[in-house]
Amino acid sequence: MLLRGSGEHTGDDYDLTAIVDDGGSGGGPGVGVAAAAALTAYADAFFDDGRDFAAARDRLHAEIGGEALVDAAGVLAIFNAVVRIADATGIPLEDQKAEMSADFRAVLGIDDYPAAAGKV
Amino acid sequence: MPASSAPAGSTPVETFDYRHSPLPVREGLAASQRRAWTRLAEPGEWWPGAVRIAIAEETRAATACAFCAERKAALSPYAVTGRHTAATDLPDVLVDTVHRIRTDPERLTRRFCDAALAGGLSDGEYAETVAVVATVVAVDTFCDAMGLPRHALPEPVAGEPRRRRPPGAKPGLAWIATVAPEDVTEGEAGMYDGLAGVNIHRALSLAPAEVAGFFDLDAEHYLPDAQLRDFGVEYRALTHAQIEFLAARVSAINQCVY
Repeated sequence: MLLRGSGEHTGDDYDLTAIVDDGGSGGGPGVGVAAAAALTAYADAFFDDGRDFAAARDRLHAEIGGEALVDAAGVLAIFNAVVRIADATGIPLEDQKAEMSADFRAVLGIDDYPAAAGKV
Repeated sequence: MPASSAPAGSTPVETFDYRHSPLPVREGLAASQRRAWTRLAEPGEWWPGAVRIAIAEETRAATACAFCAERKAALSPYAVTGRHTAATDLPDVLVDTVHRIRTDPERLTRRFCDAALAGGLSDGEYAETVAVVATVVAVDTFCDAMGLPRHALPEPVAGEPRRRRPPGAKPGLAWIATVAPEDVTEGEAGMYDGLAGVNIHRALSLAPAEVAGFFDLDAEHYLPDAQLRDFGVEYRALTHAQIEFLAARVSAINQCVY
């Protein structure tokens, strides 16, 4: 939802389907977020033992620089933790956020996640 | 998890700094991790320091637990039975709670939480356990994502937990009771300082110090609440859009709704 808010501020129309894309167009040039493909590859490789994470990290480093790579590691780290707080406590989305995100949650299939039961 | 990360049981670094990192790590980010590690070792609201460190050890051990791997691969987590490969002498119910949160969070249900409470954990202990797991996951994931060795867990600090239940805690919002910002009393004052007090902040509120502590870590790795919607200013080397895109991708991979 904040990604959409950021786009509204800058006038960019981000392709939110890239968030859940399995790799076909994920992070491609149509997404609209700078270095989206490299960010996608970095996150995907981290959670997939079958992928070359070091190569994905090197690619991201080359595209965005060292300082931003550190920030990317921080974002990946904290969201890998926050999801556990949400999932382990059954905390629901706020009503307002659920309403505002209903359209893209449905389109992106987020409502079909096992963790969605009773939370949105 | 990348192959370059330190598996449970490997030799971690003893000092909590990033002198050996080939990339400079922001001091604010490193300092927040040091505060988290300090807090990890101290008595909490419900657990003594030794139990908190044992929970941290189990958090690391879970990724090498054969039973967790088998259960993760099963159609339902309840389709398989077995015993965890535990690293500590924590009670079975606590080991199971930690391992499930670490290895299979997207399939946690109210049934899981209720079973933990029926197994002997109080809801406050459950909340603090979630917080400790999340803290260790955050710091370990950062090291793994940077390709750096993980930090050694700290030695537990002696002392007793406070064991004070926030009087304003109410059931209904989540699987465990939570404290709304308007129900905060003097005993847990400051819990939501700098925070909007939205649902994710409330999730851990039966252990008030964990709310302040975890979201201190969150503010340095992600953004402070006050900067989240300040789209006209970029506070990090990543733009707001890049941060939110990556955050959303990680949440989607974890199949998290929040």
